[in-house]
Amino acid sequence: MALVEIRDVHKTFGKVEVLKGVSLDVEEGEIVTIIGRSGSGKSTLLRCINALESVDSGEIRVEGQKVHARMPDLKKFRQRVGIVFQAFNLFPHLKVERNITLAPLLTGRIEKAKARALAEDVLTRVGLADKIDAWPEQLSGGQQQRVAIARCLAMAPHLMLFDEVTSALDPELVGEVLKVMEAMAKQGMTMILVTHEMGFARNVANRIVFMHQGRVWEQGPPAKLFANPETPELASFIASAK
Amino acid sequence: MRSFSLIDFVSLFAALRWTVALVVLALAFGAPLALGLAMGRISRFAGLRWTMAACIQVIQSVPLLGLLFFFYFGMPVFLGIQVPALVAVTIAYTLYTAAFLGEIWRGGLEAVKQAQWEAGACLGLSAWQQFRHIIAPQALRLSLPPTVGFLVQLIKGTSLASILGFVELARAGQVVSAATFQPLLTYALVAAIYFALCLPLTLWSRSLEARLDGSR
Repeated sequence: MALVEIRDVHKTFGKVEVLKGVSLDVEEGEIVTIIGRSGSGKSTLLRCINALESVDSGEIRVEGQKVHARMPDLKKFRQRVGIVFQAFNLFPHLKVERNITLAPLLTGRIEKAKARALAEDVLTRVGLADKIDAWPEQLSGGQQQRVAIARCLAMAPHLMLFDEVTSALDPELVGEVLKVMEAMAKQGMTMILVTHEMGFARNVANRIVFMHQGRVWEQGPPAKLFANPETPELASFIASAK
Repeated sequence: MRSFSLIDFVSLFAALRWTVALVVLALAFGAPLALGLAMGRISRFAGLRWTMAACIQVIQSVPLLGLLFFFYFGMPVFLGIQVPALVAVTIAYTLYTAAFLGEIWRGGLEAVKQAQWEAGACLGLSAWQQFRHIIAPQALRLSLPPTVGFLVQLIKGTSLASILGFVELARAGQVVSAATFQPLLTYALVAAIYFALCLPLTLWSRSLEARLDGSR
């Protein structure tokens, strides 16, 4: 059984059908990168996987459990599926430590006495142990995004979703975030990313999924997909992304 | 006629207790109601949102004087319910406070980005935990200046209770002025007392704002 099973998912916003029957499996430990033009439905698909959007038809299962906005264990489910956003979405009124420990404490994952150690641990993994007492706005974009990743890691998720996490960053800050993600990939985290970073997609991902007009248009290992795209749409996308 | 003396001074300060009492009553009942209204206004249930908006609209559109008249003179006539003056003014000031604070706080809550709710939800927090730990603290800071601004309005607005016979600060000023024929002195004193009451609030708000904004 795949960790994530997506079966014929449709999703419509108003009159626009964003997802037109998407099916996709992601195995445990796999790094899957979703690429495609703006409006191809990649972010929507990602948001459906942790029930930020509910699907109109079809179904999504994560660890065998059917996912939707009214699922009985939504909160527990979301503790197992981390998501990192383009805009970081750190809590600006809380210091870095509290940003990280808020959810583990409130959900009873850890005790108060161990909270700081947990924050130190996950911050070390993203290379920001010295920023534990900083305010979010004192950090650069790249650092904020790494704190956002650390905040997810503190929940020890089984699956991590990344929604264009480097798109809002200055070019020179992209590398530090990608490095953290690469390290997570090496440690065996299952990851689904929506990204425009073709270099990362090519070098780190096990599989590339090319979405076009609300469908999975083509997928396969990066080497094969980038070298020999089967469809003209993917070929033109790769050409334009260079 | 007699000259302005210590006794007049004392009577003004004594009247202050009603001013303070009315403010305390208005806040004690009005603030929780305001929180309810604000949360209702951002609810995902459209019916609740509209009901709350309508209530606020009605109360905000009626002059405070009108509210006082209604609950003291109007209720016995229209509804056949006669309540003591203190109950009538408490209801009037409570509704007045709830409507205005409710709108102020709604604005504060809505000023916090939707993505902040989402970020909390994605970490597995309940809606209440998101509100309590993520949204409310940020909204509080944003709402603080207008909240204190309203508080100052409320303090001065208690002077209207004098028409229902409450000898609060403004009414006491009238009485003293009539007795001493020293209106300029008396009302200057009354104004100074109102000022002395409101100034610390404004200063406190400013320091609180700075303290809550820990990021700077």
